[in-house]
Amino acid sequence: MVFVNMNTSRPVSVDIHVLFFAKCRELSQTTRSVFTVPSEIRASDLLDKIVIQFGLTTIRHNLIIAHNESFVENLNDSIFLKDGDELAVIPPLSGG
Amino acid sequence: MNHIKLIDCPIDVTYAINLISDPSCGASSIFIGTTRDSFQGKKVVSLAYEAYENMALKEMDKICSDLRATWPDLKHILIYHRLGTVPENEASVVIAASAPHRSAALKAVTFAIDQLKSRVPIWKKEIYEGNHDAEWKENSESIRPKKSLSSFNYSVCKVDESRVVSRNLVQIRANDCELKNRVECFFKRKRAEINSCNVIDFKQSNLSSNINSDTEVDVSCARTQSTISKQEQSNCHLKVRRATNRCGPQQMQFRPEYKHELSRLTASRVSTNEVGESLQNSRLHSIETYMGLTSKNNENIINRIKNVENRILLLESTSPEYQHFFEQSCMDQPEKKIKTNKTYSAHELRVYIHRKNKECP
Repeated sequence: MVFVNMNTSRPVSVDIHVLFFAKCRELSQTTRSVFTVPSEIRASDLLDKIVIQFGLTTIRHNLIIAHNESFVENLNDSIFLKDGDELAVIPPLSGG
Repeated sequence: MNHIKLIDCPIDVTYAINLISDPSCGASSIFIGTTRDSFQGKKVVSLAYEAYENMALKEMDKICSDLRATWPDLKHILIYHRLGTVPENEASVVIAASAPHRSAALKAVTFAIDQLKSRVPIWKKEIYEGNHDAEWKENSESIRPKKSLSSFNYSVCKVDESRVVSRNLVQIRANDCELKNRVECFFKRKRAEINSCNVIDFKQSNLSSNINSDTEVDVSCARTQSTISKQEQSNCHLKVRRATNRCGPQQMQFRPEYKHELSRLTASRVSTNEVGESLQNSRLHSIETYMGLTSKNNENIINRIKNVENRILLLESTSPEYQHFFEQSCMDQPEKKIKTNKTYSAHELRVYIHRKNKECP
């Protein structure tokens, strides 16, 4: 007999759309890109991955992210991603 | 009504004022943000705005909801923001609000522009005259990365893998709140220990050597509440008239026997409740076993609960530093019960069955 433990779920990878604005857009030289990431990830880890992948290291400490058009207020929070989710990399705002 | 827009052409301020004016409103307030012509001595030629448009509109809508929640009197709210290239001295943002009275209108506009600068995803790039590089601006109010809400610094207590960890220590998963609570309990416990030591130190340091140890407790002046008054025709300036020690080590012997009192008070009640007792007992007993406590069944139930409570408090405030607590406790008992998760191959099982069959033909 073979027992399969259903509880040990391996992290599932999902494809998300990453959007870049302002200085991020200039540094990454793109406005949007598809990026494969684990479906559950700490916001700061996700940001680190993006920073490395898209060459944003010079401004990494000022970046925040918005998941499906809502700010992720605390980078220590875990976020749960689905295929096709929109993730915006947001440098310091300067509206007004 | 809420008027929210991101627009590519110049904002018509008169039109905006007309939009928010209302016969029922005695106040219209408007804020117009215009682009400055210079920055640190560099002449600004133009500004380029860009936005995360969907989210910007969402956030602007949120600002409107917040305004209405705070000032329910507001009639109309207008938030217009320019996108694309804006020549110097043109309006880049217009915020307006109307209300029956001026206070709500004025405050709402102030609040809205502060919120807009901190939360609405819009960016401005200043383009300067001459060879100066264009620059992305940053609002001081802008939302910034926050990382420190998790107050527990995990890096200060790295796990030393090489050390042999006591079997009594288990790894637990706990959230920040729980961890904080545990750390606080530990602090409290430490504090209590230090306090009790201090009391003893104080007592001893006040003792002169010729007083023998039996009287030590009585003569200690720790934790004294005294009334001092001058006596008539006294040679001494002051004389102690009365001293009361309500608490402190000197009073230990005068404390009522709580355990005894409790047993006396509850003895009758417990015995009348015999139907429920066996169930209570078995449940309490299993809790006690789990917590490594031993008790006799006929012991007073309140005392047993008290012991369990004490145990919980102890465990809650215990850190690895308190290993000696484990060592003297009887938590080592269930050692025998722990199973080894050995896996057997099909061959081993066959051999085992074969042997068993042989043993009992």
